[in-house]
Amino acid sequence: MDNVGNMLGLSNNATKEERKQALMSTIAQQSNFENARTLIEKINEKCFEKCIPKPGSSLSSGESTCLTTCMQKYMQAWNAVSQAYIYRIKSDPRGN
Amino acid sequence: MDNQPSTPDFSDFSDKDKKDLQSFIENEQQKAKFQANVHNLTDLCWTKCITGKITSATVDRYENSCLENCVNRFIDSQKTIVRQLDAMGGRA
Repeated sequence: MDNVGNMLGLSNNATKEERKQALMSTIAQQSNFENARTLIEKINEKCFEKCIPKPGSSLSSGESTCLTTCMQKYMQAWNAVSQAYIYRIKSDPRGN
Repeated sequence: MDNQPSTPDFSDFSDKDKKDLQSFIENEQQKAKFQANVHNLTDLCWTKCITGKITSATVDRYENSCLENCVNRFIDSQKTIVRQLDAMGGRA
């Protein structure tokens, strides 16, 4: 955080609106990055468990295929959970 | 080296600008909290509902309804526990 200006990619003469927008997009970017990082971490954990029951001396092609399939499936599961959760919150706003 | 950007000055931000930023940040924080909950729920419900070998890249309808039930029962459990704790409150 030594230089917010560099981080936001702004020059000294940026307008107020430009600085405001840059700040917001930096925050949004970091938030998206954090979300993606958690997703990748979870996928790795869950799919390693599923696809690599006995780690061998190298990753087999079957294990590789399993990882790809599992990754897609995990993302679908994430979306299904997200939808169910949104639906629940909407129908039951005080119930968290 | 003359035109190296320095820390931008935010001192000219009006109250409206600050308010805008504050509500933007609050919204982002709420989004982050929601996403963290979904990550946690997906982790839990994946373990419960995706029990077999991974053969397909899609969630089938049985798995899908298991995931839905899992989310809803988790929230029910949470509410039940909070209610129980509440009832115990006086005696704890």
